[in-house]
Amino acid sequence: MRRTMIIILVVAALLVFGFIYYALDPSASSAFPQCTFLTLTGYKCPGCGSQRAIHALLHGDVVDAFKYNAMLFIAIPWIGLCVYAESRRTRNPRQYARLNAPLLIWLFLAMVLIWWVLRNIFGW
Amino acid sequence: MHYWINHNGVQSGPVDLDGIKELHLTSAAYVWHEGLPDWVKITQLPELQGTYEVVGEPIVAASKPQGGAVTGQPYQQQPSMPQQQYANDLEPAQTEPCPPTNLVWAIISTVLCCLPVGIVAIIYALKVTNKYREGDIEGAKRASETGAWWCIASIVLGIIFCQPMLSMLPELMGSGM
Repeated sequence: MRRTMIIILVVAALLVFGFIYYALDPSASSAFPQCTFLTLTGYKCPGCGSQRAIHALLHGDVVDAFKYNAMLFIAIPWIGLCVYAESRRTRNPRQYARLNAPLLIWLFLAMVLIWWVLRNIFGW
Repeated sequence: MHYWINHNGVQSGPVDLDGIKELHLTSAAYVWHEGLPDWVKITQLPELQGTYEVVGEPIVAASKPQGGAVTGQPYQQQPSMPQQQYANDLEPAQTEPCPPTNLVWAIISTVLCCLPVGIVAIIYALKVTNKYREGDIEGAKRASETGAWWCIASIVLGIIFCQPMLSMLPELMGSGM
């Protein structure tokens, strides 16, 4: 019962946000939040450009999405994998432990940090 | 209901009630299911009565296959004993499910909330699995909770900065989509 509720809520939230990000262009509309880190420091954060990238992705524009935030192309499948592991955490603890292995989390962390530095050096 | 079984040091599961019958267990087996704080003897779960063969004092302590968390002497067993055995166990991953790492939320807040707070949440996710691997279930649970608070913090901060989004609702209506 609780499980079904969560699934319904997540799908509803995805639909609402999907619609908003499809209908409006974050780079043209002032309504979308600016990155606080960028505003404060002048440097891009690892997530900068993800709103524009999602808008582009929803319009099928993969190339533009990649230009806005390339990390999203790794992060989104990774999120999917983690959601899957999370949904089976108690039923399949071994699989959960494998997908949440320290090595994998280190890998993700390293990727985020390297991406953070590189994009500010090369202006990605 | 799914059960994890430890029979003479050999672990299996998760299995359901019908699956337990097929395992041909004896009363020396240990059982764990979600909600139980620790392994219990199969004889202590009334719903499993009749699924196992009652035997006398087991002679199993000598040969303990790898990964076995529970060994002999079940009759003089003190409540704290299995816990100590976990600490020495190489793979506690097989005894109790890992506490949530909140990795999903950590990644989402790193990528979408524009806030480096998410990175702290990732580090806590790492802490959860590391402690869990070391057999420190309590420590893993604590790290899991702290990590969850970091996720909540970054999402709340994200919502505060997303406030201008509410103002675009009229724009949405006006666009006629």
